[in-house]
Amino acid sequence: MEKIEASRFQWVGQSAHDSEAISRPSLTFWQDAVRRLVKNRVAFVCLIVILILTLFSVLAPMFSPFDYREQHYGHTNAPMGTVCNDESVAGFGHTHLFGTDTLGRDIFTRVWMGGRISLTIAVVSALVDLILGSVYGGISGYFGGTVDIIMMRLLEIINGIPYLIIVILLMMIMRPGMFTIIVAYSLVGWIPMARLVRGQVVALKQQEYIAAAEAMGGSPWRIIARHLLPNTLSVVIVRVTLAIPAAIFSEAYLSYLGLGIPLPMCSWGSLAQAGIENFRMYPSQLIIPAICISLTMLAFNMFGDGLRDAFDPKLRR
Amino acid sequence: MARYIIKRVAYAVLTLFVLISLTFFMMRMLPGDPFLGDKTVSATTLANMNAKYGLDQPVFIQYLRYMGNCLRGDLGMSIVYNRDVMGIISDSFMVSADLGIRALLFATIMGILLGAVAAVKRGSITDSFSMFVAMVGVSVPSFILGALLQYFLGLQLRKTFHINLFPIQGWGSFNQTILPAFALGLGSLATVSRLMRTSMLDVLSSDYIKTAKSKGLSQRQIIWRHAVRNAIMPVVTIMGPTVAAVLTGTFVIESIFNIPGLGKYFVISIKDLDYTMISGTVVFYGGLLILCTLVVDLLYGFIDPRVKLEE
Amino acid sequence: MAERVLTIEDLRVSFDTYAGEVQAVRGVSLHVDAGEVLAIVGESGCGKSVTAQTIMKLNPMPPARIAGGKIQLGEYDIVAASEKEMQKIRGKEVSMIFQDPMTCMNPTTQVGKQVIESVRLHTKMGRKEAAEQAVDHLTRVHIPNPKERVKQYPHEFSGGMRQRAMIAMALSCKPKLLIADEPTTALDVTIQAQIMQLLAELRSQMNTAIILITHDLGVVAGIADRVAVMYAGKIVETGTVNEIFYEHKHPYTEALLGSLPHTDARKQERLISIPGTPPDLLNPPKGCGFAARCRHCMQICREELPPAYPIGETGHASSCFLLHPDCPSAEERGDRT
Repeated sequence: MEKIEASRFQWVGQSAHDSEAISRPSLTFWQDAVRRLVKNRVAFVCLIVILILTLFSVLAPMFSPFDYREQHYGHTNAPMGTVCNDESVAGFGHTHLFGTDTLGRDIFTRVWMGGRISLTIAVVSALVDLILGSVYGGISGYFGGTVDIIMMRLLEIINGIPYLIIVILLMMIMRPGMFTIIVAYSLVGWIPMARLVRGQVVALKQQEYIAAAEAMGGSPWRIIARHLLPNTLSVVIVRVTLAIPAAIFSEAYLSYLGLGIPLPMCSWGSLAQAGIENFRMYPSQLIIPAICISLTMLAFNMFGDGLRDAFDPKLRR
Repeated sequence: MARYIIKRVAYAVLTLFVLISLTFFMMRMLPGDPFLGDKTVSATTLANMNAKYGLDQPVFIQYLRYMGNCLRGDLGMSIVYNRDVMGIISDSFMVSADLGIRALLFATIMGILLGAVAAVKRGSITDSFSMFVAMVGVSVPSFILGALLQYFLGLQLRKTFHINLFPIQGWGSFNQTILPAFALGLGSLATVSRLMRTSMLDVLSSDYIKTAKSKGLSQRQIIWRHAVRNAIMPVVTIMGPTVAAVLTGTFVIESIFNIPGLGKYFVISIKDLDYTMISGTVVFYGGLLILCTLVVDLLYGFIDPRVKLEE
Repeated sequence: MAERVLTIEDLRVSFDTYAGEVQAVRGVSLHVDAGEVLAIVGESGCGKSVTAQTIMKLNPMPPARIAGGKIQLGEYDIVAASEKEMQKIRGKEVSMIFQDPMTCMNPTTQVGKQVIESVRLHTKMGRKEAAEQAVDHLTRVHIPNPKERVKQYPHEFSGGMRQRAMIAMALSCKPKLLIADEPTTALDVTIQAQIMQLLAELRSQMNTAIILITHDLGVVAGIADRVAVMYAGKIVETGTVNEIFYEHKHPYTEALLGSLPHTDARKQERLISIPGTPPDLLNPPKGCGFAARCRHCMQICREELPPAYPIGETGHASSCFLLHPDCPSAEERGDRT
């Protein structure tokens, strides 16, 4: 056997504390989620697309030389890039970037005006869903027992009726308009949210770490802030993000059925519907709003997926 | 199991009841009088008509009568077509059902396959491709997709390459069904394939797959004998909503492709404010969907052994 | 002398992760003879499960990778075997039962079918004969009413019964080697004893070699013939049960046994916990893996890997520099423990 010098057998003892040192930096839940979201390139690009679309919808109608209602009979259905030759309007000499529609209205202005309406409907509906759903689901999950059973049975029955059918019925009896669409959509849209919130609350009530936090003397506020919120909120945020494209879809669908925003106002849905009527001759009139709708839905869906991944504790590293 | 069936049937009946009630009260809340519209009629004519349709009786009696009529299949007379609504439905529904079933089969079979393959070959080109299809499917509303398909695959293909493979409207030949079924099914295909992929990934990482591997099963045997069956379970649970999505999708697809189905009549009746036709179709479609959901639920009870133990 | 079933020599398994190479198993050598029970003990993350799964190549590769060494199972060279060859070996020559019987059975397939699946796979047995055999297999693991039970689904079984069914499943092809990966951890204490008893009984009936992976030394004492103590991806001490329990030489074994509660209440001994945590195998220490937590740690322990020093003729060996013939006495080393 190999000879070993006696000096090397010098006792040094434990150094356990070094071995317990945490080598990786610790991050809070939100810090980690933000970090992973930024690293997720697809989700980040989607966020930028959403921001750009929002920015255009807010600003473009304000700075456009044309009004979204203004009709130019001199050049109806003009192709993209036509210069306005109507001396009677303020936009004379300016370019119709996206051309004009059957009444000679500037499509560029109308598209971003429509974006305002569509995005407003979507975001407001999603927020109403969130509030109604959280209250209903929260109450049901928090109280449990008979209250829970009754509320959930009720939900199941409402949920059995296809929501578009209810929305169509509601749209028939209310005056058409943005407010009506939001109300009609929200009346049914909150149901998945209520289920989700209830599920979260019930699951959280049973979580052992909540009991553990209580047992260790954590104050209720601390428990809510550090344990309940991050865990429930993340799921709810994802759900809200994914509710937005669903609302945009519903708006477009209703517009196609003729139950959308009344003229001369427009939304992406109503623009697409108008585009479908003469897209064989002028395909750009359909393709432009179609791109807007699809891009928005795509961006929100993929951003929602990215958020879900960012919040998923299983993927946390 | 019996309990499960009874519970599901009870829910379906209750839901149908709520649907009919909702329709009745909403129709009563409609602005204006059903007989006035743009015509002016004398007071006596109005009273006669009210009496004929039972509108002079208390709301409760009207409600009961309406409910009874609905259950007997009498959905009233269409104001625009001047025919009974059930007659229009029975004439046109088969076309809608044909289109719907084609779209549904396309969506579920392709969706399950795409999702399963994407999960098994995670990170491959196939995975990226199927997830791309899924993303397009959830992001492009069916009627826009339908119109775009008509333009590019119908008109442009014929104009540029003289290929007349996809007629853009009408109904009857197989070629006429391709574009509408595709446009109608793609959204559901996307939902199904995404769910299938997630569920398949879950299943593939579960312990019993490891058990199966430790028995000496090959990858292929593991996937077919153990993984797919379990992964399909969540897909079965969303078949109800999927049927709903496809059926409501037929409204717009039929009117775009000019297919003489119930959906096309429904869209026209909305534009014409034909209230009895609208309420009749709503009750019919609602009832149909409740029935479909019930069938799916019961089916689920049979294929997943775990359901039997519940409650 | 009994037939040698499994020989592992200097096995190294690494996981290629986003952060780098994690050396989960760093040179493990062991052997098992027919009818023998070898227990591999150690705390979580020490590489015992990875070692066991590598014998069947169950780890998904990548990220796992056999970085070196040999595994000889009977006539088969596992390291060189292709996936196709492994499929013939798995279930037939070697099989495995897992920790959680709740999640290890396919929830939508009848228990009988699952039990008999490997027999049908490896012997091309007919459906009818297989169904009859499934009943026999359940009878052998003492499941009451086996005829009705074969047609039931896993959720209708209790945890203990599921683990019995898992054992029946694993032994259905009469494999030479059974790997039991923490088979009782997820079960009630009373059931644990029954399962261990069943394993012992089947071992003597069928002369199957068993590798028992556990962190529960109580379980080991009852059934094992030999014990290998693993720490940070290496076997630090190996010997017969008596040698490990009563004549252990490695400070880690000592610490592990010290953390075991005594049933003898009169002794009033305090449980000893081992301070610190195992080293991160992403950057394994240069010297002995246990050095940082070892009360007897010497200068050399931090610099060099200790080889396995044989103790006596029975196969007892321990990888600790304290056993080097040149190692001076405690006072000379300055050991103040």
